[in-house]
Amino acid sequence: MTPRALTALLIALILVTGSLPVAAQGPIRIGASLSLTGTYAQPGRYQHEGYQLCQKDLNAKGGVLNRPVEFVVYDDQSNPATGVRLYEKLITEDKVDGVMGPYSSAISEAVANVTEKYHKVNVSPLAATTSIFRKGRKYMFMVISPAEVYLEGLIDIAAKRGLKTVAIINEDTLFPKTSAQGTAELAKKAGLQVVFTEAYPKGNQDFSALLTKLKAANADVLAAATYFDDAVAIARQMKELSVNPKMFGVTVGGDIPKFQELLKATADYIYGSSQWEASLPYPGAREFHDAYVKQFSQEPSYHSAAGYAGCMLYAEGVKKAGSLDADKVREALLALKTRTMFGDYQVDKDGFQVAHKMVLLQWQDGKRVVVWPDDLANAKPRFPTPPWNAR
Amino acid sequence: MTRVGAAVAVLLVVLAALAAYPLVGTGYGVRAMLQLFMWIALAASWNLISGLTGYVSFGHVAFFGAGAYATGILVSTAGWPWPPAALAGGVAGAALAFLIGVPCLRLKGPYFAIAMLGLNEVLRALISYFEGLTGGGNGLSLPTLQATTPVYYAMGLTALLVVALTHAVITSRFGLRLMTIREDEVAAEAMGIDTFRHKLYAFLLSAVGPGIVGGLAARDQGYIEPMSVFPLATTITMIVMVLFGGKGTVWGPVLGAVVLFVFQEAVWARFIYLHQLLFGAIIVAVVLLMPRGVLGLLQMRYRLPRTI
Amino acid sequence: MAVALTPAMLGQVVVSGLLAGALYAMVALGLALIFGVMRVINIAHGPMLMLGAYTTWLLFDRFGMNPYLTLPVSAAAMFVLGALLQRTLVFRVVDAPELSSLLLTFGVSIALVNVAQLLFTSDLRSVEFLTGSIALGPIAISKSRAIACAFAAAITGLAFLFLQHTKLGKAIRATSQSREVALVCGIDVQRIHLIAFGLASALAACGGTLVAVMVAIQPEMGQIWTFKSFLVIVLGGAGNYPGALLGGLLLGLVEQLASLFLTTQLSEAVAYVLLVLALLVRPSGLLGGRQT
Repeated sequence: MTPRALTALLIALILVTGSLPVAAQGPIRIGASLSLTGTYAQPGRYQHEGYQLCQKDLNAKGGVLNRPVEFVVYDDQSNPATGVRLYEKLITEDKVDGVMGPYSSAISEAVANVTEKYHKVNVSPLAATTSIFRKGRKYMFMVISPAEVYLEGLIDIAAKRGLKTVAIINEDTLFPKTSAQGTAELAKKAGLQVVFTEAYPKGNQDFSALLTKLKAANADVLAAATYFDDAVAIARQMKELSVNPKMFGVTVGGDIPKFQELLKATADYIYGSSQWEASLPYPGAREFHDAYVKQFSQEPSYHSAAGYAGCMLYAEGVKKAGSLDADKVREALLALKTRTMFGDYQVDKDGFQVAHKMVLLQWQDGKRVVVWPDDLANAKPRFPTPPWNAR
Repeated sequence: MTRVGAAVAVLLVVLAALAAYPLVGTGYGVRAMLQLFMWIALAASWNLISGLTGYVSFGHVAFFGAGAYATGILVSTAGWPWPPAALAGGVAGAALAFLIGVPCLRLKGPYFAIAMLGLNEVLRALISYFEGLTGGGNGLSLPTLQATTPVYYAMGLTALLVVALTHAVITSRFGLRLMTIREDEVAAEAMGIDTFRHKLYAFLLSAVGPGIVGGLAARDQGYIEPMSVFPLATTITMIVMVLFGGKGTVWGPVLGAVVLFVFQEAVWARFIYLHQLLFGAIIVAVVLLMPRGVLGLLQMRYRLPRTI
Repeated sequence: MAVALTPAMLGQVVVSGLLAGALYAMVALGLALIFGVMRVINIAHGPMLMLGAYTTWLLFDRFGMNPYLTLPVSAAAMFVLGALLQRTLVFRVVDAPELSSLLLTFGVSIALVNVAQLLFTSDLRSVEFLTGSIALGPIAISKSRAIACAFAAAITGLAFLFLQHTKLGKAIRATSQSREVALVCGIDVQRIHLIAFGLASALAACGGTLVAVMVAIQPEMGQIWTFKSFLVIVLGGAGNYPGALLGGLLLGLVEQLASLFLTTQLSEAVAYVLLVLALLVRPSGLLGGRQT
């Protein structure tokens, strides 16, 4: 080849390689396993919807660190062992950039071991059990209020109204047990006497014997640490057996719109706890609600809101850290103090949530209203609950 | 090289590859293989009682759960290191098998199956009740320990031992007597075989494997709770694996475990909402089309020895 | 926490137990029919009940039909489905060892549950038709449970009349006792198998309809019914139809009493311990032997 041709070729090569675009950095991939089937399918789906909406909103605003966000979600079938395997897969095979937590305390606890092993920041939006965060883990972050304070509002109102006795029942799994224990302690501190406690197995449908004993105990307040199915069954059977406490509150279930759809009038006067309501004065709560309704044609529950908030908080941590490096994001999230559409966020050194406040709801005339705490309430509680046959 | 010699050589190569795998595999890969070993051990153990004697143990996962809890309690409460704790899990499984076997092995066919089904549920309820010891519904957390690779080897070893045990049993007179019981229990009794004793021994042997792997699985997961260690689906999966590969053979359970495990891993991630349906369809297909399993068919077709 | 036991509480629990027991008896009778006639252990029995419940829910939700009026519809629908299953799949394992029928019906059952999940999703459904209770002194009788019990008793009674007095019923009983002799007598055994499976599924569907008014409906609701039906037929004696009735009532009572005297957590365990004891002490069931 002549020297001239060679030079021309060289120049051409330089021009071509110089004009090649710098390989765009792909999307930020966030992995998670969610309970899309199995016992926790309903709240698991809500959480997934929260993640989906978060992804959409983040990308609408240009993504994170100028990269679009993409979720990689697997189904853990509401089973901790499956969840563990899936997180291993996400981290070591799919090589995701970050992870978000699964649904339920049991699965979050199992999965935490994996995320800690690989030093991945794990924002677990629906893990409410304190013990998960008190095991010296470094990369776990809590978003919602812990299980122990779910029924704080119920006890508080009861004490203020001069009630004396409380009965506590719970499903025999991690979250309801912790919740029941926490409620018992709150009751004792408030000067109420715990006169009856009993646990029932997961999946139990017939509460007649339990409620018969409960009725005989004649407590003023019934605090039930439940998930959804059992909350519905207990409410129905209380009506059938004429069990009439002056206040009846449930943990999970009372806040879900479906509760009232299934029970209709039976749902009235029942108290439920909620980590979030669209009517609360948090910045962006209304917007989230409207966007959710538009996309999923139903009212959002706090599970979706928590999922959304958790994902937003993680994104915030990454933005503040300026990178995806787990230690830097961890520093950012530990230092972060903010109010999102979900409420206040601040964690202690274990990643345990200390700022977020729960609210107590009550169903009144088929509508959910916030009755506690006073600064967030939009209605007064209807007290006491009238006996079933007097409605 | 003789046929047996070639087979042994292949086996050694495979074992060497498996032993070297953790050096090159991802965390997920090692965990997945570890689970495969677990299934091999479970399927082969189930084969020891049900494949050889014909007594369908429909609650075999109870031994797995018992082993998991025994190990879990020893490690977290008594501070035992996990290897001896896992062995203790095997002992727990055998003890439970003795407790249940003595009354129930005298029952006939369908009744034994139903009684075993109930066993699983009873254990779950008992675990929940004695929550002071077991953590009940809270579940039991083992102290955090990154031990995936050692557990991988332990599981692999257990699986190997169970398969070796199966080979030893099938080629022994003891195994022959078990199979006689399967073919015609009345005739076996008439021949002077103490059927009850033989069934009980087989039952005990079949419970040790699940007990050990249950303990190892507990160590690996780091957290166990009643719902996840006593699921009926585990027993069914064990059974389908054995049926697919060939009941009453040595390598049948291994084949079934590998095929079904790979299939599940490949399919279930892709068809979240359909995988139960597919699994059900597979079960129906295996039962109707190949009740003797792959090895059973091959045995008949090619006159393969009884001891494969 | 212990609560003082009063006669009223005991009475309440006994009533609840009997009400539940009647329902168990009716559903278990279906399982007993299948086992008696075909010696098949049908794990897909629970899903039949579940599908019956969904049928009722669909009719109630879309057309506002009175759920109790949907009984004949759901029964007929499941009769057809059951007969279909028998004709295509189950008949192949009628003579096979019990492992085959156990596994086959297990496969069918998880397939059915998955289908229900696809059609209806896992969201809980309910038929809010009848709530509240009637008070008989200190004892509250849930309206829906009382009506369910009444219907269950009536349907079971009809089933017995059918078995005792009609030609087809007698043919079914004859086949239960001895298939060979029935064949010799000219009974079309294949047809009997078909009808028995259909009938059993219809009974399960009736259970589903009645239960739909009482509990939340979801695809996995049938599992527990399969277990309980097994308990009942073992207690009553497999292949023993009047035994299923007794077994059902007994199970209902034992469960409630165990919940009362111990805790709800243990009541299921107690039922199973009872099962194992029954198997050991009297393997042929409470009423002994294959009586049809």
